[in-house]
Amino acid sequence: MNLMETHEMPDKTILLKAIAGEKTERPPWVPFVGVHGGALIGVDAETYLKSADHIVDALKIAAERYKPDGLPIVFDLQLEAEILGCELSWAKETPPSVISHPLDDDYDFDGLPEFSIEKGRIPLVLDAIRRAKSEIGEDIALYGLLTGPLTLALHLRGDEVLMDMFDEEDKVPQLFNYCAEVANKMVSAYSEAGIDVVAVVDPMISQIGPGHFTDVVAPSLNKIFSHVRAKGALSSLFVCGNASRNLGAMCATSCDNISVDENVDLVELAKLARDSGKSFGGNMQLTVVLLLGDVDDAKRDAVRCLDQAGDGGGFILAPGCDLPYAVKPENLEAVAALIGDPYHIDIIRNLPAKDSNDNFDDILIPDYVNSKAVIVDVVTLDSAGCAPCAYMMKAAQEAANVYGQEIEVHEHKITGRDGLGYMTKLGVTAIPSISVDGKETFASFIPERHVLVSAFAKAADAKVLSSSGLGEAL
Amino acid sequence: MNELLDQLMVAIKAGKRKDARAATAAALEAGIDPQSVLDALTEGMNDVGKRFRANVIFVPEVLVAARAMQKSMDLLEPVLVASGIEPEFSIVIGTVEGDLHDIGKNLVMMMLKGANFKVIDLGVNVSAETFANAVAEHNPNLVALSALLTTTMPAMERIVSELSSLNSSIKIMVGGAPITQAFADQIGADGYSADAASAVELAQKLCA
Repeated sequence: MNLMETHEMPDKTILLKAIAGEKTERPPWVPFVGVHGGALIGVDAETYLKSADHIVDALKIAAERYKPDGLPIVFDLQLEAEILGCELSWAKETPPSVISHPLDDDYDFDGLPEFSIEKGRIPLVLDAIRRAKSEIGEDIALYGLLTGPLTLALHLRGDEVLMDMFDEEDKVPQLFNYCAEVANKMVSAYSEAGIDVVAVVDPMISQIGPGHFTDVVAPSLNKIFSHVRAKGALSSLFVCGNASRNLGAMCATSCDNISVDENVDLVELAKLARDSGKSFGGNMQLTVVLLLGDVDDAKRDAVRCLDQAGDGGGFILAPGCDLPYAVKPENLEAVAALIGDPYHIDIIRNLPAKDSNDNFDDILIPDYVNSKAVIVDVVTLDSAGCAPCAYMMKAAQEAANVYGQEIEVHEHKITGRDGLGYMTKLGVTAIPSISVDGKETFASFIPERHVLVSAFAKAADAKVLSSSGLGEAL
Repeated sequence: MNELLDQLMVAIKAGKRKDARAATAAALEAGIDPQSVLDALTEGMNDVGKRFRANVIFVPEVLVAARAMQKSMDLLEPVLVASGIEPEFSIVIGTVEGDLHDIGKNLVMMMLKGANFKVIDLGVNVSAETFANAVAEHNPNLVALSALLTTTMPAMERIVSELSSLNSSIKIMVGGAPITQAFADQIGADGYSADAASAVELAQKLCA
C-alpha cells in the first residue's frame, strides 16, 4: 500500500481559481521554465529560444517531470526589443541581453521599425503556444510573458530613461504609452493563440520608487491589464528584485496577481495583496536553493513559502523568477511531489533546522543487537492526526501480533524531540517509516502483513546468528 | 559653510545639474579653494548614498544626483589638476566576463567618484586578462567586480583567483544581485557590499 495520498496534479483549474483569489484544496505550482527548457532537452539557450520544436518538446518534459499547474511558454524579455531594433547578444545559458538602444540619441519614435507580431521570433512563440495548448493545455494553464513597459522603455532608450523621468515631461509618457501599445499587441496575439494568463514582466520596477511607479509606470500597466481582461484572460505582474517599497503601489494597479522573488517579504505581500483583492505568488529562492541547494533545501523553502503565504487562499507557489538554465530538476520534482501531499508538508514543517547541530545525545536508542525482543520503531508525524501514520502503526502492531514471538513496537512522533532523535539516529529517510532492530526497512510504504512478519522473523534469526557467533562467520 | 557651497550641496542632493554647474562656477569664480568645492560635492553625494541605502531614494534619484555631480566635476577637475589635488585612492572596476549588465556597476562607480576615488572603468564583459592588464598599468588600491547573472558568478571566482595569483597584495571587492557575503568569502574576495552606498564605505575601509 503506497501512502502517498496526493491531490491530483497537474490541475489548471486550481491555478485559475487561485489567481482569481479563491481558496484552493492545495496550492497551485508554477515552475517558471524558461531557458532551463534547453537544459531539459540538451540544447543551449540560443538554440532553444529560436525553435518552437525545442520549446514544445521541453514543455512536455517539464509537464511530465514537474507536474505544474501552469507553465510559461517562453521567458525572454527581449522578444519585443529585438523587433524594435535593439541588438542582442546571445549566451549559452541565459536569455539574450540587449546591447544597443535605438532611442539612445533622441526620442525618434518614427525611426523605430514598425512593431508586428509577424516579425522576429514572435511567430515561433505563437506556434509554440498553439502546439503546447493541444499537447498539455488541457491540464496546464499556459502563461504568455511580455516585456513590461519600464523594462521595454529601458531597452529602447537605455538608462537615460531613468533620468528622463525628471527632465522629459512630454517624451516619457509618450514612450510608456508606446510600450503599452506594443504590449497590447502581444496580449491580443497571446489570447488568440490560447494563453490563459498574461504575465507582464517588469523586473526594473524594483529599481524605482513608488512615486515614479505610480506616476510613470502604473498608467501604462493598467492599460495592459484592462486589455488582458477585455480579452478574457487573467493578468499577473512579475517583478524581480527588491520591490518591497512598491508593493502597495503595485497592489493599486488593476492586475489580478502579483508575483515576486525572494527579496520580497511574502508575509507583507500576502497582507497587502489580500487587502486589495489580489492573488499573489512566489518566491522560492532561485540560486541558493533551486540552483545550488539540494532536494531537502527545496522542500523546506517551498514549505517556508506556503507558511508565509498563510491559508487565506489566492497563493501560487513559484520560483522568484526565470529558473536558471542548470537548475537541478530533482529539486523541482521534489517540490512537485510535496505540494500535493499535505502529510509530507507537515513532516517538512516539523523537521529541525538544517543547520542545527543537535546530535540528540539525550535520546538513547536501544541496544538492538543484544535485545532479546525484536524492536520495531515506527517513526511518524503523529498517528493521531496523520492517516498514513495511523495505517502504518496499525499494520506494525497487527503484524507483531501475528508474529507472536518476543517483539516490541514503539511509535516515535517527530512532533516531539523523541521522534526527531530516533529519526536522526536511525537514519530515517521518509515519514512514516518502520525500522526493524535499528534498520529502516519500510519507508513511506506499508508492506503486506506477511512481508512484515517475515521481516520480523528475519531480524530474530539475525539475533540468533549473532549471539552464536555464526553471523560473523557467515 | 559658504552660501555657494551650500547651494552646490543642495543641487547635488536634488539632482539639479544646471544649479550644480552654476553653483560650482560661482564658487570657483568667488575664489573658494577647489578642495572645499570638492568636499561639498563629496558631502552631497554622501547624503545621496545614505538616503539610497535607507530606501528613501532610488536608482533614478541617484543617477540624476551623479549627473549633477559630473556637471560640477567638469568645471572643477581642471582646477583640481592645476592645484595638484589628486584623489588619494584609485580603483579598477568592471562587470565580469559573460555579463553585459552595467547599471549596478555604474552606480558604484558614480558613488566612488563622488567620494573622490579615481575610478578606472573597464566596462562590461571584462576578462581576467583585461583586469590583470589594468592592474599592471594603473596600480590601483582596489579592484571591484560586478555580476548580475548567476551564470557569471563562476567568472567572478576565476578572476579573483587569477588576480590574486598575479598580485597577492591586491584587494578585490565584489557585488551584484546574486552575490552574497558567503559567496564572496568562498571565492576569496576581500569584501562584498550589497548596494552602491555601502560599496563606498567598503572601499574606504579596504584602502585605509
